[in-house]
Amino acid sequence: MSNRPTRSAPPPSTHRPWFSALTRRALGRTALVLAAALGANAAHADSTLDRIHERHKLVVGVILSGPPFGSLDPATQKPVGFNVDLAENLAKQLGVDIEMIPVQPSNRVQFLQQGKVDALIANMEVTQERAQILSYPPTPFEEIGGALITRKDSGIKSWSDLRGKAVCVSQGSNYAKPLAEQYGAQVKAFRGQPESLLALRGNNCVAAVHVAPTLRLLVARNPDWKDYTIPVSNDLIPSPSVIWVRKGETDTQNAFEKVVEDWHRSGWLIDTEHRNGMQPSQAVLDLHAKFKAQPA
Amino acid sequence: MSVALAEQAVAALNRLGLDYSFVLAADERASFLHGMLVTIELSVVTAFFSLVAGVLLAAMLSSPRAALARPARVFVEITRNTPTLVQLFCAFLVLNMLLSQALRELGGNPLTPFIWSVIVIALHKGAFHAEALRAGIEAVPRATLEAAQSLGYSRRQRLWNVQLPLALRFALPALVNNMVDLVKMTTIASAIAVGDVTYASIMIWTQRDNVLELMILILLFFGALTFLVNRAGRWLETRLRMPGYGH
Repeated sequence: MSNRPTRSAPPPSTHRPWFSALTRRALGRTALVLAAALGANAAHADSTLDRIHERHKLVVGVILSGPPFGSLDPATQKPVGFNVDLAENLAKQLGVDIEMIPVQPSNRVQFLQQGKVDALIANMEVTQERAQILSYPPTPFEEIGGALITRKDSGIKSWSDLRGKAVCVSQGSNYAKPLAEQYGAQVKAFRGQPESLLALRGNNCVAAVHVAPTLRLLVARNPDWKDYTIPVSNDLIPSPSVIWVRKGETDTQNAFEKVVEDWHRSGWLIDTEHRNGMQPSQAVLDLHAKFKAQPA
Repeated sequence: MSVALAEQAVAALNRLGLDYSFVLAADERASFLHGMLVTIELSVVTAFFSLVAGVLLAAMLSSPRAALARPARVFVEITRNTPTLVQLFCAFLVLNMLLSQALRELGGNPLTPFIWSVIVIALHKGAFHAEALRAGIEAVPRATLEAAQSLGYSRRQRLWNVQLPLALRFALPALVNNMVDLVKMTTIASAIAVGDVTYASIMIWTQRDNVLELMILILLFFGALTFLVNRAGRWLETRLRMPGYGH
């Protein structure tokens, strides 16, 4: 009983070299596998476009936060709106099927980075911080800024009238920073746009700031909002809206760029905006003229 | 010195693929620290009022008078069986709007999102406390109550001096459980723009898209908070222990 451990344990002197040789071989093999994986990665820097064609499907993350950009049709429960039209046409131009996944401002970047979606058409304008971690086809499909909605009797006539006043936005909105820093407003961010607009109606804030096309549509078409107005005609930080892809996926980026340019050239984009009750911005009209002058 | 240290830490984490550079921006760091403070304030204030609500509701629930017990039962069932976030939206977006309209001439509505969050969470958790305390109240032996009655204790004195002190000891583990849940529940206040730690994080990751990094911080922060609540509960349990009763 007492001599069992010594008998079963092999002599250390013969054991160690054999063990280390095995380790070395294993390490070498791991390095080889790693190198192969890296090499494969370098050869296919952009596997996304291949994968899209392989599975014959493009997966796009869209935001369905309300018309005109995206919402669920109450009758059919299908997504409709500008973002949806763009995603469907993008897939059509690439000759594949479309799958749309609803995303939120708080999770959209993760969805893209983790590969749950191939691209984002999610009301996401170009900012310096985003451009550092993601890529996009350089031609924007719209230029979108924020508009301000307020009661007709609030006395707000310009952006600078907001100093010291409570202003509702939605969480994830990129208007929070300029409102606070440039105009000295007290920003209150609610979970989403519907909550923020309800808070405005509940007098929790003097004004609400959201993407301009949405608010214009609301005031123009919805009788519930007849006591409210958009008193300022210039938009807050008008910025280019683009399709986002993962960083460095140049093949996908170039393929999308061709499609976007085509949208401008053919006038399809302007028609689609009108169909969704939007007013094309000057930037879109300029791009239409520019690309029409230089055929593909 | 400490700035250099922070920069080194941020650089080291950045090599791991974690972007904590917001710590170096004075305004964002300040808003995150303020958010932590608001979460602690909200937790403490809500915990206090939830206990007040819980004791009141438990007293009503165990009352022999139907006029007291019935409404308390209805309230507890409704509060327990509906989601807190829905209650908060209902209170803040509907009740608050009606109240604002009613008080428009009288100089406006004094209730802030913070106060609404305290009211909704305290009442919601108060209902859970009440059920825990009721179990404790009902566990008090009949003989003890009869002894108190024969000594000339009124019903109120029996409740306050005999039943509740014993019920508290029975209900303490359940109450601590509720308190841990309450601390975590304060995050829903961010939905109506109360500047707690979740809200501060949302505002930061909106600019920087560093959701994962902030989620890790929020988890650690709430882990530490609930750990403290748990320790306090354990301390109370040993402190209040009566040899031969419930142990």
